[in-house]
This record gives sequence, structure tokens and C-alpha cells, in this order.
Amino acid sequence: MSSPISPRSGRPELPTRRAVVAGGAAAAAFAVLPARAQQGEPPQPLAELIARITEGAVPERGRIVLDIPQLVENGNSVDVRIRVESPMTEAEHVRWIHLIADKNPFPDMARFHLTPRAGRAEVATTLRLATSQTVTAVAALSDGSYVLADGNVVVTLSACIDGG
Amino acid sequence: MPFNARITMPAEARAGDIIEIRVLARHPMDRGGQSDGKGGIVPRKILNRLTATYAGEQVFRLDMNTGISANPFVSFTTRAVETGDIVFEWREDGGATYTRTSRLVVT
Repeated sequence: MSSPISPRSGRPELPTRRAVVAGGAAAAAFAVLPARAQQGEPPQPLAELIARITEGAVPERGRIVLDIPQLVENGNSVDVRIRVESPMTEAEHVRWIHLIADKNPFPDMARFHLTPRAGRAEVATTLRLATSQTVTAVAALSDGSYVLADGNVVVTLSACIDGG
Repeated sequence: MPFNARITMPAEARAGDIIEIRVLARHPMDRGGQSDGKGGIVPRKILNRLTATYAGEQVFRLDMNTGISANPFVSFTTRAVETGDIVFEWREDGGATYTRTSRLVVT
């Protein structure tokens, strides 16, 4: 993108050597701040966002399907559907499904809390995407493990345009 | 724009059937920070939670952030257990709540 609409909508530039050295010192100071993304902060790496919601556990791939279009014209409303293979019994069910868009100003988009009474672990909603990015769904299973699926989305008209 | 919701689900089901419930709410989901056209900015005002209660228990909850579109659509499933109302409650920033019910007859 040659003329980003806002500083955040452009791709993050690679840090210079100077920035890395300065960043090391700043990171120590930032470590005490809450990890929650705030407006104006640079986008957090996806791995960090995932680690925060899984409390450090590394989610596996598989058993979860994320249905999202590869190309959307309007980032203001993007259909997404998530299915997790689970019998949804008291002993084995999906506790929640969390949606992350790492380049949104607020990367945590939604969390679906499910119970065994859902019968099936399948949910859908409509998202708002600030720019082309990877959308990640993380599901927490009742045995304490996590599964993950992601999809790349190209957004031609971004959400978060003033007046748009 | 007044709050409005459209709930689409079967009116009746057999006990044990899994039914899909689709909910479309009308709400601007202002994420905050846009210009209001008069030199100010629009404060954040979104629906931040939707819960569904059926047969004495919460069966579904969705925590929403600004990443959910205006006029949010939600689809989820539940197992039909008994005839009764499914109560949907939205919570808005600022504490307002909106409630709608839909009846499910179980045969």
C-alpha cells in the first residue's frame, strides 16, 4: 500500500538496527504493562496473542475448520463460520472459541462460550476486518487442550475508514 | 436507530434434535474514534455480550469486541430438551440490556 490511510493500516516496516537496540531497553519497561492491545500500539505478533489466550499452551492444528472467504470486498462485514469436531458431551466438549485478527486495532474480536447443551460445536458471525490479514480461531477443549485454524483474507475495502 | 432483533429458529423440534438458531440484531456497533461530522468523535458503543438461556441454564454466550460488524449476525446450535422460551439478552456498553424471547415447542 503506497499511501496508507492511517499509520496502522500499512504493513509494519522491518525494524532498523538502532530500533532493535532501543527496543530491547524499552521492552523491559513495557513488560510490566498489561498485555492487552491498546489503540496506537504497534500490532502484536500473532504468536503472542495466541499464547496470551491459551495461557502459554501451544494449540494443535486440526479438528477445527474456519470457513472464511479468501477475498472480501468489504471489510465491514465478513462472514465467518467455525466448526469443531467434538461430541459435545459432558466429558468432552468445546469450552470456547476465540477469534483473533492480528492486524485489527483490537485483535481480540469475539469469544463464543459453548456448553455440552449446544449439541454441536458450530458457530457463525460477521466480522469487521481493518486490512488484509490472517484470521485465527482458537478453540479450548474440555480436556485442557487447544486447537487452532487460520485463514488468509484479502480485504479490498478496509473497515475502520472514517465515515465509511 | 432503535434496537431490533430478528431471531430465526424452528418453532418446534423433537426432543434431542439439534436446532440452529440465527440471530440478527440491528445495532451500529460504534467502535469509537470516527468523526461525527461536527468536529467531535463518536464514542465507543457496541453490544458487548449476547447470552441465550434455555430450560433454566445459559446455553450460549458470545463476548463481542469492536471486531464484530455493525448489525451483528450470530448463529449457534442447541439441543431441544423441553418446551419453553429461549431468552436472548444483549448487553450494551453503558449497561443497557435488550431482551427478546422465542418459544420452542418440543414434541
